[in-house]
Amino acid sequence: MSLPIPSSASVDARHETDHGVAVLTHCPLDTQAIIDSVADDGAGATAVFIGTTRNTFQGKIVTKLEYQAYSKLAIKTMSSILNRTSFHLHLQDVRGGGFTRMAIHHRLGTVPVGQPSIVIAVSAPHRKEAFEACEWALEQVKKEAQIWKREYYDGEKEEDAEWKANA
Amino acid sequence: MSDSSPEVTVLYFAGASTATGTSSERVRLSSPGPQPLSSLSSLLLSLHPGAGLEHVLRTCQWSVDAEMVEDPDSVLLKGGEEVAVIPPVSGG
Repeated sequence: MSLPIPSSASVDARHETDHGVAVLTHCPLDTQAIIDSVADDGAGATAVFIGTTRNTFQGKIVTKLEYQAYSKLAIKTMSSILNRTSFHLHLQDVRGGGFTRMAIHHRLGTVPVGQPSIVIAVSAPHRKEAFEACEWALEQVKKEAQIWKREYYDGEKEEDAEWKANA
Repeated sequence: MSDSSPEVTVLYFAGASTATGTSSERVRLSSPGPQPLSSLSSLLLSLHPGAGLEHVLRTCQWSVDAEMVEDPDSVLLKGGEEVAVIPPVSGG
């Protein structure tokens, strides 16, 4: 009885807004395809964040990670972050004032060590707003999106695997 | 009979699902008529005694029909809602 309890609410989801796209998927993240999806001839900069699963936590060896989401709610939160990032840049008075397009993709299910769990790509006219938008959106996803990570450690029973908290 | 008591679906995620041993259940509220969301905690604890759920719920937020709830006292459950226990998130 060591397997995690499957949640029928943790499913693939996708939502497009005026500012880009939010995706939850059990499939491996294709970083290049995600970068290509924000390409724009008016963009002089593309910032990309790739979060990958780390192999250690406090000296313990991480064997795999498991991500679960309340997809219906998480995809709304991620879409809201897409839209609020634009507002955030205006508040920060970042030169240029906006980004062109953003894609936020988060992986669900079992993610082997070393694979991406999140990829955020942002295109913008200039580098400053691309960097700012990418970092701010990532921080909001970590803070708000209804997604949970469970770490499995080498030599420990699977039922002892720990659900993490970002706070 | 308690047929007029509202019934809701409760979703559990992460540590809340580990504590209850389930990811989803139908729960009939304890008395007829709409009831505040804040009354649901004690009902869930009575359904899962000794499961460590009390400790988990202390850090959780709630959503109703896929909307985060700011104040559980101000939301009334009328029946048919999808209520979710939202533990501290850890995406990224």
